[in-house]
Amino acid sequence: MGEPFDISYVFEYLVKLLPTLKITLLIVVSSIVIGLGVGFIVALPQLYKIPILRRFSQVYLSFFRGTPILIQLFLFYYGLPEILKLVNLDVAKVPALYFVILTYALHSGAYMAEMIRAAVGAVDRGQVEAAYSVGMNGFQAFTRIVLPQAMAIAIPVFANLVIANLKDTSLAFSLGIMEMTGKSQTLAVMSRHFVETYISLAIIYFVISFGLEKLFHLLERKLLKHERRITTEVKEQQVKLGKTKRSLLGFGYSRGGRENEA
Amino acid sequence: MIKLTQIKKSFGRNEVLKGIDLTVKKGEVVAILGPSGSGKTTLLRCINYLEKPSDGQITIDEFTVNYKRPDKKDIHTLRQKSAMVFQQYNLFKHKTALENVMEGLLIVKKLPKEKAREMSVELLDKVGLGNKLDAYPSELSGGQQQRVGIARALALNPEVILFDEPTSALDPELVGEVLGVIRKIAKEGITMIIVTHEMSFAQDVANHVVFMDGGVIVEEGKPSEIFNNPKEERTKQFFKRITPDGVYSI
Repeated sequence: MGEPFDISYVFEYLVKLLPTLKITLLIVVSSIVIGLGVGFIVALPQLYKIPILRRFSQVYLSFFRGTPILIQLFLFYYGLPEILKLVNLDVAKVPALYFVILTYALHSGAYMAEMIRAAVGAVDRGQVEAAYSVGMNGFQAFTRIVLPQAMAIAIPVFANLVIANLKDTSLAFSLGIMEMTGKSQTLAVMSRHFVETYISLAIIYFVISFGLEKLFHLLERKLLKHERRITTEVKEQQVKLGKTKRSLLGFGYSRGGRENEA
Repeated sequence: MIKLTQIKKSFGRNEVLKGIDLTVKKGEVVAILGPSGSGKTTLLRCINYLEKPSDGQITIDEFTVNYKRPDKKDIHTLRQKSAMVFQQYNLFKHKTALENVMEGLLIVKKLPKEKAREMSVELLDKVGLGNKLDAYPSELSGGQQQRVGIARALALNPEVILFDEPTSALDPELVGEVLGVIRKIAKEGITMIIVTHEMSFAQDVANHVVFMDGGVIVEEGKPSEIFNNPKEERTKQFFKRITPDGVYSI
């Protein structure tokens, strides 16, 4: 099918693909930031058991967690303008990139909501009562006592979500976005060096994922400093082993599922 | 002075407190005794509104809250006038011993950092933890954690400190150090309400003993009266069970 394999193309394409990395990162960063906000809003009715809103957030969660991201991209890109037309809003001129960011933000928002709910739930209720008993109000108890601990608990999950999001952005090319995967498609088709292009592409994704993994690991250690000191050296080693296992799971998770759908 | 009037609390259909009246004089140490499920802890938690009473009224130091319809400000004031020491210590796990004690002073009392620090160091010294200022709760033993909890309560200079079974979660070996600290601060004239299973401690420290069962106060009075000469049949039964003259009857 393609041209014979030539390793030198791998390096050449690495250089050619790198400029499009900023589009990929733009999608990742903005969708994670918006997603965190969305996640908070969606998690609140669940945390405080607000009757009707809770139903809404459950529907939201089931939709975004129960349908493939690719379908969501299509639905938002092709479906949303149709719906908006009904209320006389023309979004035909809005760049596809915005739709992509919106979809990824809402998609990761669902996972963020679950992450926040679990992490806040993991901080024991007794500390909140203690905060009340020293005279703090609900907001102070949440921001001073619950949030710092919940954040530390959530870091490993958050790291997985960011990395999964990074790899999911490779589907944005299906809407014609020239991010890394999109660019590699063009390069591959034009030069017919398919394997080399995909190798360079994989290298970039891997290096960034790996860097993020390390970064979050450092952050987690910093945030969990109040628990680290008790562990003896042996225990600390076990903790490290546990972490790597978790990160391996993180890598395996996308490989098994969503990317294959493309 | 603290005055509780007709405090009632139900969990669903189960009425846990059936109208409790209790008066605690300033500087008095009150011990609440009774079997499990008698509502002791619930009563204590109702005082600072960690548990929402269904009915009743509380007056702490001229400040009255009607539990039927308290507004947020009332609850806030109530909590500032009281402090609590928990069975499970409930220290803020991400803060050091010193920060745990300072937290209320900085955030609630809005003291400047230097002043808060100075007061907290002094209090931790008082509970015998002057050398553990920078230790996190996970690095402290149960007894040490509970003493930090007591320092945290003392820091707020409350009208009353509520102790919810402060030694129940501790190793027998560590109970002594915590009771020692409580005994020490009792002598300083701080009003305290203590829910406890430590009978000899209650007898020794309390000025007033309350015996509860089935959501009501069965009997109250001076420790000597309640322990040595209870009037009610239920109280006699209870003390007979737990102090069987050296032999445990099964």
